[in-house]
Amino acid sequence: MLDKAYLIKRSQLIKRIRNFFDSQGLLEVQTSTLIDNPTTDVYIDSICATVNAEVGPKTIKYLHTSPELEMKKLLSEDCGDIYQICQAFRDNEHGKNNFNEFTMLEYYRVGFEIHDLMDDIANLLNSIGVNIKPEKISYSQAFNDYGDIDILKVDFEQLKNIASGLGLTNDFLFIEDLQMLLFTHLIEPKLKHIPVCFIYDYPKSQSALAKTNGDIALRFELYLNGIEIANGYDELQDPETYRQRFIKENNKRKLMDKKICSIDYDFLSKIQNIIPQCSGVAIGIDRLLSQIK
Amino acid sequence: MANYSTNQFKNGLKLILDGNPCSIVNNEIVKPGKGQAFNRVKFKDLITGKTLVKTFKSGESLEGADVMELEMQYLYSDGESWHFMDPSSFEQYALDSKAIAEAINYLVEQDNCVVTLWNDNPISVTPANHVTLEVVDTDPGLKGDTAGTGGKPATLNTGVVVQVPLFISIGESIKVDTRTNEYVGRA
Repeated sequence: MLDKAYLIKRSQLIKRIRNFFDSQGLLEVQTSTLIDNPTTDVYIDSICATVNAEVGPKTIKYLHTSPELEMKKLLSEDCGDIYQICQAFRDNEHGKNNFNEFTMLEYYRVGFEIHDLMDDIANLLNSIGVNIKPEKISYSQAFNDYGDIDILKVDFEQLKNIASGLGLTNDFLFIEDLQMLLFTHLIEPKLKHIPVCFIYDYPKSQSALAKTNGDIALRFELYLNGIEIANGYDELQDPETYRQRFIKENNKRKLMDKKICSIDYDFLSKIQNIIPQCSGVAIGIDRLLSQIK
Repeated sequence: MANYSTNQFKNGLKLILDGNPCSIVNNEIVKPGKGQAFNRVKFKDLITGKTLVKTFKSGESLEGADVMELEMQYLYSDGESWHFMDPSSFEQYALDSKAIAEAINYLVEQDNCVVTLWNDNPISVTPANHVTLEVVDTDPGLKGDTAGTGGKPATLNTGVVVQVPLFISIGESIKVDTRTNEYVGRA
């Protein structure tokens, strides 16, 4: 049944987001949805599409799982601050908060570090009617407060013992996956009681495409009432570091008997100019909508 | 029993957890943006009645529990065991005080209850939502004494104490909600 109230709420939210960015001079962009390479991210599966089968040459393409790499190509060409609101597609995702297709807001601020970007997101939230001051808790502080675990110091074996002590499985190949299990089990239920919360400074093992500093990754996530809404990084800048991260993901895929993904050499060659120092974030619009009045 | 994978988890599914039969109360799929999917599952332990939350890696599996819920008639107690009969097979089952637990407050001979069997052994009993019990002791409701305070305690024939309105007197039969231990009305 048509839920017009929802459609109106959604439309208003997107208008307010655009107003916020437009008033700050960010450029709205649209990048390709249909791209040549699947994501190498171990736990994100791309949906593939076969095109030109009748006219040839038959080609396999992929629906983007996020506009990240395409937008970074623009950043490397000095386009300045940009944002995009688009549909993203991921295979093997289903659940109350996970869908094969969802709306993503992705934006980048040149010269920003993650704490600048978290402040900016707080202003964005303010502009859409979320007037609660966010709490900020570092990843290690959260584990310390809610699990009495020194997450940056414990090694894989010690963490396995902690998991089995809690009656949880410890059958993992990589420490980061066990960290995520414990975060889901111990921390997330506590975050349900915090309306707006940033978790920042993740362990280096969970750096994804974020810069690292010592044993931490310059990465943050936003939680509204315990629901993960956004994921942001101080972005890597040079093609060689990106190449190493992609290879690392593929090595993990290999060890887990998952499909190896072709590396996006087009991306690596397009960013030869180096991406300027910037921070960027992906925000799930459907989840955001579900958590605001 | 068969094993069940997390993608077969649903509310009410009975599984063995730490050696005890449990029932799924809630199953939530959590997929971190940069991580693998987990199932955060709330269980009720069918023996202790306690609820617990566990998080599983998606794809993990647990052994199913052979649990059946049968409507039975409560026959009598010999002081050590409480005896029930399955009216369809006439088979009798004896429950110990651990399995009877709180239900002891509402057991009336000949009444129907739901008995939970695990591997054919009775592990718990759930009385009907409403049972009729008799008031065996209560203060006379004196006029102007405690009016407006919501009632007075009354001891019923099973020994349980329930708050009743002031107008209820000894010897009356009343209906009690067994889930909340609250007075519902005169029987």
